[in-house]
Amino acid sequence: MTLNKDELGEHYGKVGVGNQNMLGIMGNNRDVSVGEIFMIYSCRDGHERIFFFRVLGLQNYIRQVDDLSRIAGTMMVESDAYLSGIERNMLLSVDGKMLGYAEEREGEWKFHSPRRLPDHLADVIRPVRGQSDPYVREMLKSQTDGEVYIGDLQIGEESLDVPVTIPAKFLPMHVGIFGSTGSGKSNLMMVLVKAMIDTNMKAQKDPDVPKISAFCIDPHDEFALGVDKYGIQDIVEAMDAGTRKTVLGDFYYLTTHLAATQREVRRYGKEIRILWNEITPRDLFSIMDFTSQMASFIEAVRGQHGENWISEIVNMSEDPDGTPAGTLRGVQRRLRFLTRSPIFVESGTSVLDDIFEAMETGRILVVNTSLMSNREQFLLTTIATRTLSDLRRALKSSGNLGDFERQAKLRLPPSFFSRVRAKARTFYSKSGNDDQSPVKDPRNLPVIQITVEEAPSILNPDLMRGESVFKDISRQGRKFNIGLLVVSQQVSVLDNVILSQMNTEINLRLGNEREIRACIENASVNITGFENEFRVMSRGEAIVTASYRELPLPVKIPLYDKVFERDKASYKATRTKKKQEKHVI
Amino acid sequence: MLEKILTKGFRRILEATFNDIKNQQDRRDEEEFAKDEIRIKEELLDTVDPYSSDVVLDEDFVVAAVDGSGNSNLVTLDDIRVHLLSSSTILLNTNSTNGQYFEPLEREKIEAELGEQPYLDSHWHSGVRGDAQEKLAQSLENIYPLKDVAEIVMPFFRDFTNGSINSTSDLGKSIEYGKYVKDLKEVKKLISRQQLLTNPIVHDELRTVTELAAARKVLESNLNPKYLLIDGALSVFLHFIRKYPSMPSGFMLRDVCTIARKKGVTVAAVSKNHTIPFAHRIAKMARDNFGDHSKWFCQLPSAEDPGGGLHIYEDRTYIPPTLAVPYLFSFSRDNRPSRVDFDRIWWKDKILVHGDSQATRENEKALFRDLEFMSRDARWYGYPVALGLAHITCKLSYEDMRLAKEIVDDILRAMNQEGRKASALREDYNL
Repeated sequence: MTLNKDELGEHYGKVGVGNQNMLGIMGNNRDVSVGEIFMIYSCRDGHERIFFFRVLGLQNYIRQVDDLSRIAGTMMVESDAYLSGIERNMLLSVDGKMLGYAEEREGEWKFHSPRRLPDHLADVIRPVRGQSDPYVREMLKSQTDGEVYIGDLQIGEESLDVPVTIPAKFLPMHVGIFGSTGSGKSNLMMVLVKAMIDTNMKAQKDPDVPKISAFCIDPHDEFALGVDKYGIQDIVEAMDAGTRKTVLGDFYYLTTHLAATQREVRRYGKEIRILWNEITPRDLFSIMDFTSQMASFIEAVRGQHGENWISEIVNMSEDPDGTPAGTLRGVQRRLRFLTRSPIFVESGTSVLDDIFEAMETGRILVVNTSLMSNREQFLLTTIATRTLSDLRRALKSSGNLGDFERQAKLRLPPSFFSRVRAKARTFYSKSGNDDQSPVKDPRNLPVIQITVEEAPSILNPDLMRGESVFKDISRQGRKFNIGLLVVSQQVSVLDNVILSQMNTEINLRLGNEREIRACIENASVNITGFENEFRVMSRGEAIVTASYRELPLPVKIPLYDKVFERDKASYKATRTKKKQEKHVI
Repeated sequence: MLEKILTKGFRRILEATFNDIKNQQDRRDEEEFAKDEIRIKEELLDTVDPYSSDVVLDEDFVVAAVDGSGNSNLVTLDDIRVHLLSSSTILLNTNSTNGQYFEPLEREKIEAELGEQPYLDSHWHSGVRGDAQEKLAQSLENIYPLKDVAEIVMPFFRDFTNGSINSTSDLGKSIEYGKYVKDLKEVKKLISRQQLLTNPIVHDELRTVTELAAARKVLESNLNPKYLLIDGALSVFLHFIRKYPSMPSGFMLRDVCTIARKKGVTVAAVSKNHTIPFAHRIAKMARDNFGDHSKWFCQLPSAEDPGGGLHIYEDRTYIPPTLAVPYLFSFSRDNRPSRVDFDRIWWKDKILVHGDSQATRENEKALFRDLEFMSRDARWYGYPVALGLAHITCKLSYEDMRLAKEIVDDILRAMNQEGRKASALREDYNL
C-alpha cells in the first residue's frame, strides 16, 4: 500500500506537547469526542510512521485569550459583547494517549508499542469513514486480524470499516467479557456465536481455518430467537440443509424442557439430562463449599462405590462408621438440589455424549439455562468443562489410542466413557483405529470455548482455592485447546488465577469506579488513563485488550440483527454453475 | 532595605507624602475642579447611545489599528545598543450583515497592501558623539515611507498656522520659521533635542515613527478604513523656542493626519493610561448623572474652543495636546476612563459646528457610538478591539525577547564576535 498522507483522512491539527505516552494536540474546533482515534503522520529522520493517538480529554482553547473564564464572564454580564474573528481562533486542545505507531517495512505494515515520539508539529489526521478505512485496516492488520469477529474499530462515536477479530488460536488462552447490566453483553455473545458459526463455515472450505466449538450458556434464553428480530435460529433457517448438517449438526440448542420450546427451535434442540454417575466429586467441589470431613467422606464413598457415589450417599440413612457425626447430613443437604433437579437424574439418557460429540466436531451449542437454578447451571458448566478437559488431558498424555483409552478410564466415569469410547477413538485418531494408532495433538482439534456465565459465583477466590476444575483449565486449558469465555459484571471479585491467565479482555461499560479500576489493572495492555473513557462508554462499545496485541482496541459491537441481515445470504451454499457445453459444429 | 520598609517609620514617610499631595495638589485641583464642575456636567459630559447588540449597519465599515512595540536593549556590544522594533496593523470589518462583528480581513489581503505582518526591524547606535542622532535619522528615514523631508514637515506648518504657511516658499518667507528652513531639510536636523538623545528617547522615537509608518501605509493603501486607531495620544512636543516639533515624529504625525483627512479617515488615538487630572471625579459625575451602567464621553476643551479650556488642566503642559482634541470616555463600568484624541483640524471640520452646540453634540454622539461599537469585544470590553488585537500581535513578550537574544548569541558565535557581547551583570553584582 502506497501511503498518501492526504488520503488518510481529514487534516485535523498539529502535535503540540507531550512524550511517548501522552500527547497534547492542538486541533480545529470540531465535534471531537473522548475515545476518538487520530492518526499522526510523522517523518522524523526519514522514517515515515503513522502514530495512533486516542483522545482522553478535551479542552476549549481560544487563541489570543489568556483567561477564558473572564471572557465568558464578560459575555455573560455584557450582553452586547462579541469576540472578533474568534471562529478561526477557536481551537480544541486535545489530550490523549499514544497507542503506538505503524511502520511499513518490506511492504508490510507492522504495529509497535509507543516507544517513539512523532515529529515536531506533526500533522494530525482524523480518520473518516469511507476514506480512511483501507489504510487503517492495512496499518492495523496485526492488531485486528483473526477469525472471530467481534465488531468494528471505533473512532469516537463512529466506527470505521475495520473489522476487529480475535484469532482462534488465542481462544484457549481465555477471553473475558466484562460489562454491567445493559452494556451489551448478550448482543456481544450473539455476535460471537455468529462469528464462530461463520468461522466454522469457512473451515469447511479452507482447512487452514480452525474449527471452533462453543458451549454457550444463554441465561435468558435470548440467543436462539434473538432479542429483537433475529437470533441464532435465523442463521439455522437461512442455511441450506447441507451446510446446516455439516456446520451445526442435528442440534444446537440445549434446554431443560424441550416441550416448552418454540416449535422451530425444538427441531434443533435437545433436553439437558446429566446422569448422577457422570458427576465427579470435583465437579461439586468446584461449585460449592464442602468441609474437609465432607470431602473425605465423599471421596471415601466414591472409592467404595465408584461412579454411583451420589446414589449411595443420597440413600444412606446414617453416618457410616468413622465418619464424624453430621457429615452425611451435611453432604446430603448439599446434594439435595440434585435429587430435585430435572436435569441431573439418576437414570435415563444423558446429553453429555452429544455435548462431547458436538464439541469435538467443531459445533456451537446454545445452552438455555433460564429455567435452571444458578447451582444447576454452574454444575452443568463444570461437568461439561471437566469431561472435555479430562478427555483431552488423556489424549495429550497419550501416544496412541491404547494409551488414550487407559488414561481416559482413569479419569472419567466408566459408564460415560464406555458410551463415548468409540467416537473418541474416531475423533482422536490420527490414522487407523487400533490401539497402536497414533493420536492427534489436541491443538489440532477444534478449539473449545466454554462460557462461564455469572463467573464470580464459581471463579471466586474461595472456590478457586480448592480443587476447582476451572483452576486447572485456566492454567492448562491452552494445552488442551480449551478456553473459558468468562462473562461477568464484575472484575474485582474474580480470582487472580483466572484473571492472570486471561489473555483477551472485552471490556464493555462498567458499573462503578471500583470495577473500572479493576478492569484497567487487569487489562493485558496498559490502558492507564482510560478511566474517563470507561465513564462515557455507551452500550455496545468496548475496549478490547489482548496480551498478544500492543494496541488496546476500541470496538463498536454491531447489533446482531444488522450483521445477520448483512451476511444472511452467505449461509446459503453457493451453487457452482455448470460450465456451458461448447457446441462445435 | 526590607527591614526599613517594614518599619512604622517608612509608613510615616509615605503618609506624610500623601498628606502633602492632598493638602497642596488635591486641594488646588479640588478648587479648580469646583470651577469646572457645572460646565462639565451640563455641557461636556454626555452619554453614548449604543447600537443594539444585533445591529445591522446601513453600511459596514473597516476599522484599522496600528500598534508598535520594541526593546531598547536587544543586545549591547561594548557601547553599542541594538534596538528591536515591531509594529502590527489590524483591519477589521464591522461585518454586521453577517452578525460576525469585527471580522478580521484576510491576512493575505492585508499583507499584499501593507507588507509582511507584523513588521520587525532593528536599529543600533553607539556612544560616539553625534552617532545616536545620525543613526536615529537614518533609521527614521528608512522606516518612514515618505522620503521627501519638505513634504514631511509642511503638514505641520499648514495645520499649525491654520494654512497661512502653505508651501515651502511660505515657510522660507515666514518671519517666525524662515530662519530655521535650513534645519528643516533633512531628518537629522529635525531632531532638535539631540542633547537629550538618551537610549529610551531614541527608542521611543523609533517606536512612534514605526507606528506612524504603519499608519501611513494603511492610509495609502486600498484598504479604505473608516477609522484608523493609534495606541497613545496625538501629542506633538514643540521645541520651546522654535515652535515646531522637536522630533521628526511630530512632523510625521501631522503628515499622517493630513493624509487621513484627505482620504476621509478618522484618526483616533486611544490611551488607557493617561494623566488627565480628576478623571475619576468626572467618571463619578457620569455615574451619578447617568447611572452605574452608563457609557459616556466628556470633551476636554482647549482655550480656543467655545467656552475655553478647563481650569483643572490650566497649568498642565500638553493637555490638551497641540493640534488635537482629547475626550475622556468610558464604555465599561469595570475600566477607569480612557482618553481618545482626535486631529483638531479634522474635528473642527467634521465635528464642531460653530454656534450650534446641539449639532456638535450630535456629531460627537455619532462618533462615540461607532467607537463604542468597536469596543465590545469580550477580551477588552470597553477598549477598541482592533487596538487590542494590534497590541497582542505586535508585543514582544519576555519569551519572545529571550528567544531573540538566543538567536543573537547564535549569530555572534557564527561571526566569532561573541566576546564583544556585554552580558548583563549578575544580579548579585548589581550593587
